Amino acid sequence: MSYDVEIVRQGLNALFDLKGKPAAIQSWAGDVLPTWPERPNSRSGQDAVELYHIGRNHWIARAALDQEVKLGEHLRPTDCPADISIVQVSDTLTFFRVTGPHADEVMSIACPLDFHETEFSEDAVTYSELFSLKALVMRCKGGFEFAVEQSFGDMVEDYLSRATA
Amino acid sequence: MLIPCPFCGERSESEFIYGGPVGADRPDPNTVSDAEWVEYLTVAPNPLGPVHERWWHARGCGEWLAIWRDTRTHDIVEAPDDSK
Amino acid sequence: MTQSNRHASGGRIDRGQPLRFAFNGKSYEGFEGDTLASALVANGVRVTARSFKYHRPRGIVGHGPEEPATLVELEGEDASGNRPATTIPLREGLRARSVNCWPSPEFDLGGVNQLLGRFIPAGFYYKTFKWPNWHLFEPSIRKAAGLAAAPNNPPSSGHFEARHAHTDVLIAGAGPAGLQAALEAGRAGKRVFLADEGTEAGGSLLNRNLTINGQPAMGWVDDAVQELREMTNVTHLQKATVWAYREHNLLIVNERNPEQDRIIERSWRVRAGEVIIATGATERAMVFSNNDRPGVMLASSVQAYVNRWGVTPGKRLVLFTNNNSVYAVASDLVATGIRVEAILDSRATVPQATLDMVPGLSVHASTVVGDVRGRKGVKAAKAVSATGVESWIECDVLAHSGGWNPTVHLWSQSRSSLQFDERLAAFLPDQAAQNCTAIGAAAGHLALDQIIEGGEDLAYEIEPLWRVDLPDQRGKAFLDIQNDVSVSDVHLALREGYDNVEHVKRYTTGGMGIDQGKTGNINIIGTVAMQKGVPLQEVGTTTFRSPYTPVSFGAIGGLREGSVLFPYRHTPVTQWNEDNGAVMYEAGARWRRPGYFPDQGEGLQEAVNRECRAVREGVGVYDGSPLGTFELKGRDVPQFLDFVYSNVMSSLTPGNGRYGLMLSDDGLILDDGVVFRLDDHRWLVSTSTGHADAMNQHMEKLLQTEFPDWQVMITTVTSQWNNATICGPRARDVMQALGTDIDLSPEAFPFMSFRDGTVAGFPARVVRVSFTGELSFEVNVAPRHMAALWDKVLEAGEPFGILPVGSESSHVLRVEKGFLSLGHEVDGTADAYDLGMGWVMSKKKTDYLGKRSILLRREGASTRRELVGILPDDPNKQVPEGAPLTPGGRKEATEGLVTACVWSVVNDRWVGLALLQGGHGRHGETAHVRLKDEVIPVKITKPVFHDPDGNLLRS
Repeated sequence: MSYDVEIVRQGLNALFDLKGKPAAIQSWAGDVLPTWPERPNSRSGQDAVELYHIGRNHWIARAALDQEVKLGEHLRPTDCPADISIVQVSDTLTFFRVTGPHADEVMSIACPLDFHETEFSEDAVTYSELFSLKALVMRCKGGFEFAVEQSFGDMVEDYLSRATA
Repeated sequence: MLIPCPFCGERSESEFIYGGPVGADRPDPNTVSDAEWVEYLTVAPNPLGPVHERWWHARGCGEWLAIWRDTRTHDIVEAPDDSK
Repeated sequence: MTQSNRHASGGRIDRGQPLRFAFNGKSYEGFEGDTLASALVANGVRVTARSFKYHRPRGIVGHGPEEPATLVELEGEDASGNRPATTIPLREGLRARSVNCWPSPEFDLGGVNQLLGRFIPAGFYYKTFKWPNWHLFEPSIRKAAGLAAAPNNPPSSGHFEARHAHTDVLIAGAGPAGLQAALEAGRAGKRVFLADEGTEAGGSLLNRNLTINGQPAMGWVDDAVQELREMTNVTHLQKATVWAYREHNLLIVNERNPEQDRIIERSWRVRAGEVIIATGATERAMVFSNNDRPGVMLASSVQAYVNRWGVTPGKRLVLFTNNNSVYAVASDLVATGIRVEAILDSRATVPQATLDMVPGLSVHASTVVGDVRGRKGVKAAKAVSATGVESWIECDVLAHSGGWNPTVHLWSQSRSSLQFDERLAAFLPDQAAQNCTAIGAAAGHLALDQIIEGGEDLAYEIEPLWRVDLPDQRGKAFLDIQNDVSVSDVHLALREGYDNVEHVKRYTTGGMGIDQGKTGNINIIGTVAMQKGVPLQEVGTTTFRSPYTPVSFGAIGGLREGSVLFPYRHTPVTQWNEDNGAVMYEAGARWRRPGYFPDQGEGLQEAVNRECRAVREGVGVYDGSPLGTFELKGRDVPQFLDFVYSNVMSSLTPGNGRYGLMLSDDGLILDDGVVFRLDDHRWLVSTSTGHADAMNQHMEKLLQTEFPDWQVMITTVTSQWNNATICGPRARDVMQALGTDIDLSPEAFPFMSFRDGTVAGFPARVVRVSFTGELSFEVNVAPRHMAALWDKVLEAGEPFGILPVGSESSHVLRVEKGFLSLGHEVDGTADAYDLGMGWVMSKKKTDYLGKRSILLRREGASTRRELVGILPDDPNKQVPEGAPLTPGGRKEATEGLVTACVWSVVNDRWVGLALLQGGHGRHGETAHVRLKDEVIPVKITKPVFHDPDGNLLRS
């Protein structure tokens, strides 16, 4: 292998898509969600639930799959008021982890973002382009984590194995 | 090109989809004349120089934005309108 | 094999590492550190190529990317074409052959073109091969011209890669100026990206014997490279050419054979805060009769071969110049013991400091070369003095220098301007258009002492000579050696009125070769200026375009080849489909879907008939997951949907759905689909598979740019829901067998409604829509359950003979029902009325997208093409989809086209759909399909061939 990386395609996560004004979502969701990430394209919460601020009035809440039901019961997507939108989207994304000494290099093949630590900080999370697809990109311990639309998962795996062949 | 997204900052052109020039406001189709309606639909600004155009941050945050781009140089000559 | 021209010592080659290689089938030896060109020089190979048009014998002219004459094709593992021999690092087992000749450059059958030379002037091809059509002649001309063919197979030794990079400073060129700039930026802590096209850093210092503060200049280079290596903020690449400078400081770098296993070439797309262009300068040729003889070489290249590679291109040299730089070359030659017969200098006065470098040599001022003898290798040069005195000087190499051009390709690609400098007789960087700077020789600082403190160098002085102009000149004087463009061709172009420099370029093809005229373009400009009697600034340059040097397509494509050449999408059932012998198609939006499921030995038609019969008579199931699905939320969704759909959606009650059309404001049908109301403020919009992304874009654009105050939030849920659609008269039986808590009776669960519940133990949303015309249950589950659901459906359906259905059958089933298909019937011209769907165009709503345009268009008196069914008079006659209909089948303007034609299992015959002029009023008449060889009469009918009242799908 020409790049020293480990690539892991992950199982499902509990994911909820949140849209609306932050105050409205906060008052509906209560304390089930972590501290609100203030800056665009940043994240908050490390433990049970993470919150990604990835668009104007747009967040994604992420937790382990075994939290999906519990989180759903708290967020009550079908009951929330008209001015906010909460949709369970756990199955829509496939997450990959690329870690190891050459994780930066593999990411630079896939994605046009500047991953220098001054430009892409520890708490950065953003949608970008990855192998020409829309992808959610962030750092993880020892490398990077990203997610693509689930139906493209096999193709991205194909790409990654070609990149590291 | 590097396109300034009001939410994400400058991003690679490849994250965006071109959305055409910003044309005239849509007239009231019930009061406008045929000629004016056709003009609205078919005549798009196409200047040699700065053009006001829309881009969609499709592989990004999903924002629709407008920039002024100089068609001769691709220079973005004015920041996108962030006031909407 | 002896390397007869190799010196015993000296040069940056490793004599301990001999390398075997083959050129035009003959085997030779060179050393590690050689290029193919230097190894050929070492072995005394003089004729290395044949020219493009006249097939004249040519030799090696340059030593780098400027090489105009010797292009080769590499064979075997690293097969690639049209590579300058001077840029190919030698390696063990390399196999190369010349392009432009057959069977060899020594004996080339195409050489007869030389005899016809005066009949192949500029524009010859344009003037001659124009009737009936250039493309008739192109293949044989290309073959005769003989550029290398594309390799048959991809390289087996690895793959290509393209990657992104970001830097504060990009520096193009690691010569003295570039290295110094890199050191300064690196020490300041900036992110530095330094790329150089050579195999090692040093630029011109590699070829010259210069000193810095009394020490060999290469020692300074080694120190600089070492210091850069220790800086973690510096990326320093060799064998890496910056070949394109795009807008917003995006530069593209092609790195060859990076230090990484299995990567052949790597393309870097570098976004730079600041760009420093330190690309050096390129020596330009002199223009005189027969200046293309093998052995006529650039003086700096002779110097490079001698100093860098320890080889002598010749034993007796004549040098010809209009500037000082050649005197340093002569000095190096003398130091190596090579005989310099004479230096011919076109200037009236040669500066004393220059003369001091070459004590004892014969220097002739005011003297030019009038001709060169020796078809397959220089034998003598004719010196002509200003007073017309001629003398032939015997020699085997004629080294010439027409002066130096700053290498401004990247500068100019960035749209930065150039200014002609009279003192240097060259175009120099002027106003920067982006954040870039030119430094060193690229900025016209042609002597080392101008670049580096302590550098010692001869001052550069020149008196331009754009071409040797003598009375009674014979023999072609080439301006562009690669494309065989001579002075007379440019004169012809000017006479014929092509006097803009861009026109001269295209008419003569001067500068359009692979070398892009690096040694000769300036002489073309000079020749035009001389002929028109204007200064060079007024003539100007042609546009510098990328690539600066040739780039492999592979490097541009990067990883995108083989299975990932195009994107593809899978559903959880894709694997099952492949395991079960489905013939896979790419459906819209890159989904890989089953076309049909042939049994052993079955063809397409039999398999499709079998699948269709199952749906019409029993039950079938298909994977409908790819359908675009969006959840819309907010108070203003009803008015938004009423605006984007042509019919009324706001009146829907929770639990129910409605079919609708989305139009663009100019009346085009964008998409069709079904809208469901989930509850007061939540809606589900489904779009066709292929248009899902476009419809998302369309809706978001409207909301964000036209109606920013409307409260509508869209979430894409295409991949949150997968579905197995069970369809056919026995569909309800299969649903019951699967087990569900939903009341399936038509009264409790009517057509165009949905129910949430469980099916086969999975949480499911079941929707009653139908794209086949049969009773259908679309069972939507989360993708995590889809594969299991699919297995259970097939198991539960087995007693009812359930079959999986592919897209071929779906097409047949929808045509039998006359259901629309985007791209078939919906072709950008037909509107809803034409398609017999006037009911979908709301009369109540005062405004919606497309309304005004449709009304406006229908006010015209012209008859429209309308959707009809067609039945070929011969029921066994298939009509090709897309076939034109003409009045009476005569050779006249078409009156429509066949949009679809399928074998109908319910009618046991071919049936079709067509768009036909005035079709709605012509039911019962006969129309005619006109093909190339036959006319097919078809009966016009209503566009529905099965269950016209729709009782089955509502059942």
